[in-house]
Amino acid sequence: MEWVLLVRYGEIHLKGLNRPYFERALVDNIRRALGSLGGKITRGTGRMIVTGIGESDLSAACDRLSRVFGIHSISPAVAADKAWDNVVRHAAELMNKLVVDGQEHSFKVFARRSDKTYFINSEGIGRELGHEMLERFPSLHVDLHKPEIKLCVEIRDRAYIYCTEIPGSKGMPTGTAGRAALLLSGGIDSPVAGYMMAKRGLSLIAVHFYSYPYTSERARDKVVELTRLVSCYAGEIRLFLVPFTDIQMTIYEKCPPKETTILMRRLMMKIAERIAASEGAMALITGESLGQVASQTLESLVVTDNAVSMPVFRPLIGFDKEDITAMARNIGTFETSILPYEDCCTVFVPKHPVTKPVLSDLIASEASTDFSGMMDKAIADTELMVIG
Amino acid sequence: MIYFDNSATTAVLPASAEAARRYMTDIYFNPAAAYSPAVAADRDVLAAKGRLAHTMNVEASELIFTAGGTESNNTAIFGSLAARRGTGRVIISAVEHPSVTEPAASLSERGYDVVTVGVDASGAVRLDELKSLLTPDTLLVSIMHVNNEVGSINDIAAIYAAMRKQSPSSLLHVDGVQAFMKEPSVPCDMYSISGHKLHAPKGIGALYVKSGVRIKPYLMGGGQEGGMRSGTTNVPGIMGLDAAVADYAAHISEYHANTRAVKMRLYSNLSRLRDVRLNGPAADAGAAHILNMSFLGVRGEVLLNALSERGLCVSTGSACAAHKKGKNRILTAMGITGDRQEGAIRFSFCPFNTVSEADTAAQIIEDQLLILRRFRRR
Repeated sequence: MEWVLLVRYGEIHLKGLNRPYFERALVDNIRRALGSLGGKITRGTGRMIVTGIGESDLSAACDRLSRVFGIHSISPAVAADKAWDNVVRHAAELMNKLVVDGQEHSFKVFARRSDKTYFINSEGIGRELGHEMLERFPSLHVDLHKPEIKLCVEIRDRAYIYCTEIPGSKGMPTGTAGRAALLLSGGIDSPVAGYMMAKRGLSLIAVHFYSYPYTSERARDKVVELTRLVSCYAGEIRLFLVPFTDIQMTIYEKCPPKETTILMRRLMMKIAERIAASEGAMALITGESLGQVASQTLESLVVTDNAVSMPVFRPLIGFDKEDITAMARNIGTFETSILPYEDCCTVFVPKHPVTKPVLSDLIASEASTDFSGMMDKAIADTELMVIG
Repeated sequence: MIYFDNSATTAVLPASAEAARRYMTDIYFNPAAAYSPAVAADRDVLAAKGRLAHTMNVEASELIFTAGGTESNNTAIFGSLAARRGTGRVIISAVEHPSVTEPAASLSERGYDVVTVGVDASGAVRLDELKSLLTPDTLLVSIMHVNNEVGSINDIAAIYAAMRKQSPSSLLHVDGVQAFMKEPSVPCDMYSISGHKLHAPKGIGALYVKSGVRIKPYLMGGGQEGGMRSGTTNVPGIMGLDAAVADYAAHISEYHANTRAVKMRLYSNLSRLRDVRLNGPAADAGAAHILNMSFLGVRGEVLLNALSERGLCVSTGSACAAHKKGKNRILTAMGITGDRQEGAIRFSFCPFNTVSEADTAAQIIEDQLLILRRFRRR
């Protein structure tokens, strides 16, 4: 039996004349995700077919492809010559693996024929193949509404026969929507925000601020690991590690205590914007959610937005912590996010941060100290790691 | 680098490393084999066990080599209870190591009546409370000899005497991982030790089981250690432990005096600083190698990171709890909360630390406190 992977794509099929652009990107992303597993990718209508993956690697390949954005679902399928006897034989072999001795099963045949020259139409395939299965497997019965076993047959250049459909991550192929910079803290929210925007087709760079020596090596390892986990979906991520201690200490010494958090946020955005611009990114992404903490009130968001001219994407803005946590668990970043290391935002925090900052006050505080030299230095000392 | 985290682990002594190496590359034979080099290795292991027993003032037949403190504690707790019929009461203290609290939690799920005895402000078990908890059906009491985070020393002899009087059939297990070769031996039924806390390699420890106390083994296989602990004998570990213990035994009073001197020097240097508190027993009363102090207004982890950058290695608590967030269980049990708990740092010493290291360390801490306290929460 020759096994292939049928890869269905989601939203791309809504595209018009530029559909080939999205398809090519998806092919590239699939090839990258399969990596050492190899395989040859052929584009068909509404589907891609991956051939040349060994049977023992099929489940690993499905697992990898289930994390590629732009894919609706994946089915490991038997590819065979479409002569009818051959189709029946392979369908029976597949069914034989699913039928458990001494147990009743309901089933239904789902047939689809894109080769309109085939001798029998879809309805006919369903009827005839169903009949053949009933003859061979007495424990089967037909249930057209809620079948336990869905036996699917597609007649194209060849016949493809399968019983499973693994859901994909959906969304748009990463890289087709341009590039944006994710502010990655090490908490629960920002990896989820990065995931969500990559799902809309953005390729990501990540910017992390750390307070050496007051944050530990382990906190840094944690951020590298989070970036790696996001890159399982988003592809390669260039991670910029920005030393932030000098700026933080200056803020604390020179500026009013209640403004420190919001000033820190503004300066982080400014640095991230400069790194983003130099990397060809056109937007910033943060994990902020309205009202979650003092720096995420509407007033605070207005003040942080004002620090930069790039658009700031906040995909979690309307989500509860509980929802965000559930998503983090789902994409596999939660357990790493909750490792208990101090990060730059918790090392120096005021007891009572301002919740309704006034823009003019902050601009005045910022102007009272020359931060530009310090920002230049932070960017010059930034370390780059390429992950994924 | 100044290494003041000897309660987490210690550097292996050159003599210990050499002994271990010899039994890895030269005398590598499985002591259970029949040919003469293997028999020689077996004799060496037996001799080492004899010397360890002598040092501990017990019989060689009462010792089981294990992979370390955690295995010793698990074997003592699960093994001794498995050898007895039915369930009953098990008492542990509020400040035990996770390798005692986790088995206890598992016993609780299996229907044992697990109760916890509290500690006083110095971290020592409250004897009166323990007496009130001892019942005729008490099967096991597990109390540590020296606490790993604050250095409090429990009065094991008094605990044992109370048990003999009130619950004659109960057994006393003592986690001696932080006490062996540092405190005089104590009367008990089972005693756990670990090699890497006293300059032997990691992966070797022992459990003393008093003659007559029954233990059901939970590692089964080739029947090594008299059937009590199957698994190919860890000859390099045993010989490394043997060498380290021999070194300690030969220098015991000198080593104690050195360790104590370093601790007292650091203590006196630090207690001169503003807003510093001692956690645990009085510095000269607790274990000679553990000092726990709080630096108010700074967070322990932040201070630790800053000290690490300056080459001073310390910890905020047990290394075995360093990856868990939340309150410090030990300090909470001692009634230490809030700022004082948040700013706690544990220093732990070995005989090879020096007074001048204590001076340098105190200076580094003073410098970092000056910086960090400028940024305390306002």
